[in-house]
Amino acid sequence: MRSGAGAKASELAVCINTQTPLVLFLITPQKLELMPPLDAESGLTGLVEGVDYRFSPGGVTRMVFPLVQRLLSSGVLESAHWISLNPTAPPTLTFSGVTLHNLALDPARLASYARTKEAIWGTVHGLPDTDLDEELFWSVDFTDYAYYNRITAERMRTLDQQHDFDLFYVHDFQQLPVGQMLNTLKPKVFRWHIPFEEEQIPEAWKPVLSTYFDSYDMVVVSTDRYLAALKAFGHSGAARRIYPYVDPGEYTAPPQEEVRRTCARLQVEPQDDVLLVVGRMDPMKGQDRAIRALAELLREHPRLKLVLVGNGSFSGSGKGLGLSKSASWRAHLEGVAEERGVRSRVVFTGHLPQRELDCFYERCSILLLPSLREGFGLVVVEGWLHHKPVIVTQRAGVAELIKEGSNGVLFDPDEPGELVVKMSKLLQDEGLRRRLGRQGFTTAKQCSLDAASEAEGRLFAEVVGA
Amino acid sequence: MNLLVQFLPELYAALILAITALVARLASYVVGRGMRQSAPQVAAGARRLGAVIVWLIGGIFAIQEVGINSDILLLVIALAGVAVLVALREQLENFGAKYFTDIYSPYKVGDSIRVREFSGKVIEINATSTVLITGDDQLVSIPNSIFMTEVLVNTSPQAWKELTVPFTLGSGVDLPLFESELLKRLGKLRLRLDRRYPPVLALKSRSAQGTELTLTIMIRRPEERDALSAEVVKRVGETIQRFQLPRPKPVEAKPEAAPPPAKAPAAPPAKASE
Repeated sequence: MRSGAGAKASELAVCINTQTPLVLFLITPQKLELMPPLDAESGLTGLVEGVDYRFSPGGVTRMVFPLVQRLLSSGVLESAHWISLNPTAPPTLTFSGVTLHNLALDPARLASYARTKEAIWGTVHGLPDTDLDEELFWSVDFTDYAYYNRITAERMRTLDQQHDFDLFYVHDFQQLPVGQMLNTLKPKVFRWHIPFEEEQIPEAWKPVLSTYFDSYDMVVVSTDRYLAALKAFGHSGAARRIYPYVDPGEYTAPPQEEVRRTCARLQVEPQDDVLLVVGRMDPMKGQDRAIRALAELLREHPRLKLVLVGNGSFSGSGKGLGLSKSASWRAHLEGVAEERGVRSRVVFTGHLPQRELDCFYERCSILLLPSLREGFGLVVVEGWLHHKPVIVTQRAGVAELIKEGSNGVLFDPDEPGELVVKMSKLLQDEGLRRRLGRQGFTTAKQCSLDAASEAEGRLFAEVVGA
Repeated sequence: MNLLVQFLPELYAALILAITALVARLASYVVGRGMRQSAPQVAAGARRLGAVIVWLIGGIFAIQEVGINSDILLLVIALAGVAVLVALREQLENFGAKYFTDIYSPYKVGDSIRVREFSGKVIEINATSTVLITGDDQLVSIPNSIFMTEVLVNTSPQAWKELTVPFTLGSGVDLPLFESELLKRLGKLRLRLDRRYPPVLALKSRSAQGTELTLTIMIRRPEERDALSAEVVKRVGETIQRFQLPRPKPVEAKPEAAPPPAKAPAAPPAKASE
């Protein structure tokens, strides 16, 4: 801490760790080598967004980066170093005042690391691999998961020697062991972004996870329900709930002409009633349920068109962990649409830049979140910021903010009939849709960058003892 | 020429010291190889002891070569040794006890223990004493020698399950690679271990000399504790050895060629607190 201790933490030097990097490089390593070296000084100068690099989809870009920017500009942070897994990136570069440190793994280790973290993710999301329950932490793959976390901890330690950090901020389950490996007396905060439900965690994992959680000074989860589950799990250390967040200033309505042009380019005609689903191509996202519901609803609502926005995540991308589930899931969804005879009423847009995504938020009649399980569901907040009515799975974290019929509609993802009935009712009642959208816009304030930066600033102050 | 003859004894002495240095390193290596199955800290101590003995013998020969009467020197060393032993008897007892309790006592920092009329949580084990914090927040310092003669009760939950193996890695060793390899080796013992607790490698400190680490594993059956302790210590020692010896260079014709045992392991002393 660079200034005197007061009520608030100020000018902290923080070391952030996320598995997913902020920036993904699209440029080939060969081409990158021919360019002037990208380093801490030059940053991304000379590279073109969308051609040479792009921002990772998801929470890292929408949440962590804006938060860091806000805390830097408000003086809570003096400096930020950010360590991620980014095999195709230069080792270090600076972007918008944040120094990005990129770690690499050789392809074999990357593959087995990815298998381990995918097994943990699947289990926590209710897709347990019972063969792995007891064996996961003893598998050969796990040694590479440990390896990745150890090189992360080692890099953090080396940087700490150079920069004397005030705080370590570790994000999500992939990096949970880092706290224990770090061996520092400095404060460590861990943010768990995925669902935390005690019944989903195998008994055999509980002691290990418990030990990992105990190595942090503070654990942050996304909902009150997860916080209660964490306590019930036996975590006796400090823990807080901070809702995930977005910067509302980033969600402006594009002009109608731009909306029309963008939609037309992606086969959405002016007469279509748009049902929008935004999420990466992943079985957990439940897009198949949306397609089946569409097939039922088209009888009564023939103008309905389902727009599926999203592609692979960092894990699914060739530049990331190279897991192939996004391509196979999209092929499956196309098959389901063909089989139900609704292929012409389903649009797959792939990944869209934020501006184009805003066009679809503006254009849609309803935003649907059909996930089987969802850590939070920030897309619902995005829909609210566009004054749109939302239908949300009960198994999303954001469901705890929804008052049925007031700011949204909830459904049980195991009851497809319920989804069809509720959607039909909403499609028939424009007044209800408007009311839900208006009320949702108010609710979205709880998930704003303002609210989160205030909460995170207080939390930092608490853990550093300011 | 005369000058050479004049300083011939000194040259012989220098030669003896040079040979002594080589023999000391060789002795250290041979002892280390011979004690591969022992606890890493015991092996490291034995290696050091072997080297010291060689240096003592070599030193005496070198002194005799330059014409100094080594009988008096030996007598002085012996008397000084006795004086030190008498003066520091209690401290040495504690030092010695620390050495043995490090290796063989079933407690570590963080455990709750009871010894004599004292009970509490261990917060420090230093060279001469073990410090407890009692239930009523008092600090109690217990000389280490007491742990050699008194009944100790470790009241920590599942204390009987826990095996800890502290050891030191040379500074040049790649810790992530070492850990990955060690976890693979220990994974082969998983049927004998409590599978809810995978091995944990904790970094204790780091210096230019090396990295202090502690491996913790949890056993399943109390009756296998001894055997498992020996096996785990052996596997740790083997992994240390593999990482601290120079790696064989990739040779086209003989890829399996054994690495030359040129260097003794940099610093593998370790303890098995079992």
